[in-house]
Amino acid sequence: MITSQPLAVRVRLIEPLSPTLKRVSLEHADGGLLPTSPPGAHLALILPGEKRQYRNSYSITTGADQRSRYEIIVRRTADSRGGSAFIHDELRLGDVLTSALPNSQFPLQNRARKHLLIGGGIGITPLLSFLPQLRARRDWLELHQFSTRQEASVFEKLLDPFGGHDVHVNVGRQAVALADLLARQPLGTHVYSCGPKQLMDAVNDTALALGWPPVRINLESFGAFGGDAFSVTLSRSGREIPVGEHESMLEALENAGVQVPSLCRGGACGECLSTVLDGVPDHRDHFLTTEQKAEGKLVMPCVSRARTPYLTLAR
Amino acid sequence: MTIKSRPVYSTLKIDLSGRRHLLMIGTSGVSRDALAPGVETSAFDEQWTIASNSLAIPVPDETTTRHSFRAEAHLLIALRRRLKDERMGLRLYAIGTEPFLWNVRGLASEFGMTAEEVQLYATGSAARRVFCNHCRTITSGVTTNVFQCSGCGAHLFVRDHFSRHLNAFAGVQVDAEAPGELPDIEELYL
Repeated sequence: MITSQPLAVRVRLIEPLSPTLKRVSLEHADGGLLPTSPPGAHLALILPGEKRQYRNSYSITTGADQRSRYEIIVRRTADSRGGSAFIHDELRLGDVLTSALPNSQFPLQNRARKHLLIGGGIGITPLLSFLPQLRARRDWLELHQFSTRQEASVFEKLLDPFGGHDVHVNVGRQAVALADLLARQPLGTHVYSCGPKQLMDAVNDTALALGWPPVRINLESFGAFGGDAFSVTLSRSGREIPVGEHESMLEALENAGVQVPSLCRGGACGECLSTVLDGVPDHRDHFLTTEQKAEGKLVMPCVSRARTPYLTLAR
Repeated sequence: MTIKSRPVYSTLKIDLSGRRHLLMIGTSGVSRDALAPGVETSAFDEQWTIASNSLAIPVPDETTTRHSFRAEAHLLIALRRRLKDERMGLRLYAIGTEPFLWNVRGLASEFGMTAEEVQLYATGSAARRVFCNHCRTITSGVTTNVFQCSGCGAHLFVRDHFSRHLNAFAGVQVDAEAPGELPDIEELYL
């Protein structure tokens, strides 16, 4: 059981990195050191919007050795569900936010002989948290960040403290052939990827086709929420809750006042696991096994949706 | 009684998720029971064998699929060189005595290969390498339940407790409380 003990953090710095990216630096609201944030950890923040409260999880980009602050980088997207827009428009220096303790579902594999890091866009954030430790240990690594031309300099700057011949910012997906990159990796390599779903799917499928064991492929999804609208029926109360195109099933349930335990909100931790009684889930998580997904009796409402116009959950 | 550390071996199957399949053979010839039904030795991209013969010279030709080595040490050195240059997608298989299997497995681990990428099948002599828990000497070729340590001379009881790290079974002094009082000695590991 993962416990979500609350933590109060204060905004100490907000820096714009690009027109759509902001870096937020958070310190312990009571002063002193923050709990150690393991590499690949995310911070589940509660954001007090005007209309409603948002719960968003962001990767902590600072390393485990950094306990005076946590940094997160937030992208404002046109179809933001509210949380990221809140951070961009309303969050002020000195504001105190509640969060869960940092928790990593995307850990560094300490026995890897080499670490291959592949980021796409803002997916660079968890990879940044790996670098202090990898560099301190002088581990064998290779990092490829895929970026648009406009943002390449932003990512170059973020990677600068860890730069070397093994760190590359590539403009456009075609700049590096994934098949060549994955085919030339030595035995004992772990690949870690975070970014758009198409990138992670390509990394996963290409690596599997090249004979990589699945346990060596580490993916961190930050959730593809959108999809067709559907409705969720709760078996106990019989309530029917609509899920809109731009909200997750978990958010729809929360907005309707249904208490669902959650933590990573990205399909990794398993905290919001729910039982499906009717309907066919559209699985988008990394928690359930392929067999469990095929069976269709369990669903992770934080990222998954429905293939049918309705879904009945045992709640 | 079974001990968790005691390795369990299954017959070798070609792992179709892999791209290259390398078979190490530590015994003379491949016993049919080492391979799962339907698996032929020709299914492996390469077979490396030990000739136990000073005339054996491996051919440095990449298209050759069968390589024969003078001795186990000779094969292991070539394997180390090979694994250093290998890429992800390799699957390693080994058939032979336990000490041979775990020498191969130890090399594979050194190059980051994990259980998903290596299959082992024990066959041939069951003689054990035994680690003296007291003086740390490893004695090879132990076939009895109790033997005298080649390092310190203690009478050691051979346990089923196997160390993958040391590639040896644990041996503990059997007459510590009553010196000279030994159980009946039996040939168990032939």
